[in-house]
Parts: sequence; structure tokens; C-alpha cells
Amino acid sequence: MAPSVDLAMLAAPPLPEAFHPPHASAHPLHLQQLASTILHNLQHQHDWTLLSIHTHSESTGQLLPRPVISGLPPRRAYIHPDEQVATLKLEHDTGTPVKQLPEGEWVLPTHLGEKWSLKQFAAIFDALDTIPPNDEIAHEEEGSVGRQWQGNNRQKRLLLATLHDDSTIVYYIMHDGIVKPRQN
Amino acid sequence: MAKADIEDEHRDVGSDTITEPVSISLIAGRYLLFDINVVTYLRRTHNICGVLIGGIPQIPQQNVFLGLPLELLPEEARLLVEKRVAYIVDDTAWHKPKFSTLSGEERRRYLDSLREAGLKSKRAADEGAKKRQAHGLAKEAATRRAKGALKPDSDEKDIPDSAKEVSDSLFGDERPQSPTPSTISVSNKPHAITPTTTYPPLSLPDIPTEEAKPPVPSSYPLFTHLHSRGYFTTPGLRFGCDYTAYPGDPLRFHSHFLATGYGWEEEIPMLDIVGGGRLGTGVKKGFLIGGAESESSTEGDNVRTFCIEWGGM
Repeated sequence: MAPSVDLAMLAAPPLPEAFHPPHASAHPLHLQQLASTILHNLQHQHDWTLLSIHTHSESTGQLLPRPVISGLPPRRAYIHPDEQVATLKLEHDTGTPVKQLPEGEWVLPTHLGEKWSLKQFAAIFDALDTIPPNDEIAHEEEGSVGRQWQGNNRQKRLLLATLHDDSTIVYYIMHDGIVKPRQN
Repeated sequence: MAKADIEDEHRDVGSDTITEPVSISLIAGRYLLFDINVVTYLRRTHNICGVLIGGIPQIPQQNVFLGLPLELLPEEARLLVEKRVAYIVDDTAWHKPKFSTLSGEERRRYLDSLREAGLKSKRAADEGAKKRQAHGLAKEAATRRAKGALKPDSDEKDIPDSAKEVSDSLFGDERPQSPTPSTISVSNKPHAITPTTTYPPLSLPDIPTEEAKPPVPSSYPLFTHLHSRGYFTTPGLRFGCDYTAYPGDPLRFHSHFLATGYGWEEEIPMLDIVGGGRLGTGVKKGFLIGGAESESSTEGDNVRTFCIEWGGM
């Protein structure tokens, strides 16, 4: 895990521009710290870009239950199984590979020691839009394969990031509702 | 096998028309079904699988394939009762007063029904024996003919022998030669059968309008939610969850989800979510958690569900 963790970087993590300084939000300090740790990991270990921490809901303007990260992974973090089937079919028919552009994702920072409930997860999903705001990579290729599983057409999802005390972070895709699993 | 064949078979098994509501026997706290036609009907029409728990008399030393009776989960029994597809009969309570006072017309009808079932079973057995015999004879004749092709002169005198000998049976050759090969169907005595229910099917209790519904675990809302969306469910012990959910009949599909029900504000340790997600992904399924929203005023079952899969990073 994270062989490149550098003590100097841990002491003073380089914050992206969009990162809100701690005094700007009303979240407890440990949740802010949790979010910045996860963000740090996404930026430096997983090469995510366009990272930012959201403290307020875009739709209601209310304070989120906790800070939530948005960002752009280097490659698609999730491909719906039906989209994969459609893509493979198209690739087979045309003989040219279909380019999978990355999509913006929400990331929910959690700690392994926490306990969550359905109510809390529902509150997070209800406060978030389907896709993160300012998703500049909203590539509007009309009629391209997979549109119905991308952008605003996709089912609400987020990346559940769980931090352990030894700095291990695991990432799980969480969907709002029933979404059939990928055949990994 | 052609699809039509399978459907024909289905029609054979479920040929007796089922009238709803069907009765579920409650015996020692278990919800049991003893009629194969009801079992197949509920599976076909209402997506209810249950679990076969009975040993098979012909192969008693294995427990991979089991037979009747079928045990229903309390959730399945409750759902069927709530949809008025079935009702619960407490077998002990019903049997004791009913069976001891069985008399007159009712008693005669019961005995008749036993006799009828015995005759049916006998006819089926005779039919099978006849088929086996015909098959044996045909095989014998074919061998003779093949031999006959080599030695045509021996053909004629061999035929009477073959008609007597039914050599398909293991001990066919040691059996004393019988004058007619059809001794099996001489007697018309019905087979002795053991009925699977102890009361005459015609005299079930009147369907109670308001009855005690089977008590169910707290994951019941998730169960009904999945069922209402066409999912088949089987018990989830194998994967450490409440239910394994299949998008169609488990005989035709792999399951999609390991489903676990939670209360709306019940605490879920993060390790359970990570563990469930990891296990689910390892077996190509999603880990599904869900439960009923307690303070919701919306229509429907107001169950919220979340699916968890490994993020791959």
C-alpha cells in the first residue's frame, strides 16, 4: 500500500485550489481531516484530477452530512455490465476499439471504525446530484454507445472510500438502488 | 432439449389445476408443502422457491438432491398469506379432532380417495413394466435379427423363446419361465400408499378471513421489495447474507445479489459493508443492503436499497 508516501507530504499535503480551508465549513475537524486524507490518496496514489471537496449540497445549498469529494479518475471507475456488452458488440462489429473516457465521480470518505445506517446513506445520496458539478469532461457525443449508462442517465453512485488506521484505503462502488453486478 | 419438451413436462407435472388459496402445513414451527403440483405452481406463478428437505427413498444416502416436503421460509409463507395465495393450517391442531371423529360419508370418501391414489400408482407401475418389457423384447428381437443375418436358418425356431424371456431385468435369466409374460398385470389390487397429509384434502378448515400471519425476521421488507421486482430468492446462509437474489428461476440464472436487510437506523459497521462487498465481488455478485424507510410518507413499500461492488482500485 502507498509505497510512495512521503513524510514531508503528509505533514503538509499540497491542497488543490478547490479545497476549502477548514474554517469555511461547519463540519467537525476530524471529518475535514478524513476528507483531505482520502483526497490526498486519490491525487497521489490513484492519479485523480479535478479533485475538490464539497461541504454543501449543490441542489439544496444545505450543509452535507459530511464533506464529500468529487474528482476525475484517470480511467473509467465503473462500467455498467450492459454498457460493456454493447461496447464489445460494437467493437466486434466495427473492428475498432471504443474509447472509454473517464467520468467524474463522487467519493464518500469514511473510516473503518465508523458505523453507518441506511438512513445516513440515503441522506448522502439525496443531497448529491447524479454527476458532480463542473464536470468539464461532460463529453457530449450524441448517439455514442453507452450514453444511456453515462452522465445524467446513470444511476446515482458514489465511491465509498474507507480509511483504516494504517493508512490503507479501500474503494467500493455504491449504487443508489438495485444495479446488476459486473461480471469481473 | 427443445423448449416445447420442457413445457410439456411442466404441463404434465402441474396438470392438476390449483385453486388459490392453497394450504400450507404448519408443523413444529415449519411451513411445509407436500403436494408437488402446489410446489411447481408457486414456483412458476409466484416466484416462490422454498427449500426441498425430504429424503428420496430410492437414494437415501445422499443429501445433494432432496425431495418433498418443501419448506418455506417464514417470509415466503407470510408473503403468500398476505397476497391471499395461501393460508396456514396448523396440522396438529387440525388433525387431532378431525381424524378421530371421521365417520360416515366423510370416512368413506377418505378411504375411496386412498384407494383411488393406490390404483393410480399401480396403473403407473404397470405401465412402466409394460414399457420395459416391450423395450426388452424389441432389443432381443434386434439381436436375434442381427444373428439371423449371419445364420438365416436358425431364425425361425428362436422366436418363441425370445417371447417368453424378458431379459431386460437383472435376474431375468434365473426367473422361472412363466406361461405368459404378462403376469404383472393380473392382479387389480391397488398399491398400499402412504398419504403425505393426514387429513382428507376435501375437508380442510374454512379459510379464516383474519388469521395470525407468520412471524418474520426484520429483513422482511427487503424480501418483499425484491420479490415485487421479480427476483427469486433463496436462503443466504451460503454467502453469509439474508437472501441470495436471482433475476429469474435459480435453475436458469446465477444469482445477482447477496442481500441483507437492516433497520432504517440500525448501525452497520463499515467492516460489514467492506466484507460483504468483497465477498460479493469475489463470487461475481453484488452486495445489496436495504430496509424500509421508517418516517417516509411516500406510496409503495418505501424500501431503500444500496448495491456495493469492489471499486477495483
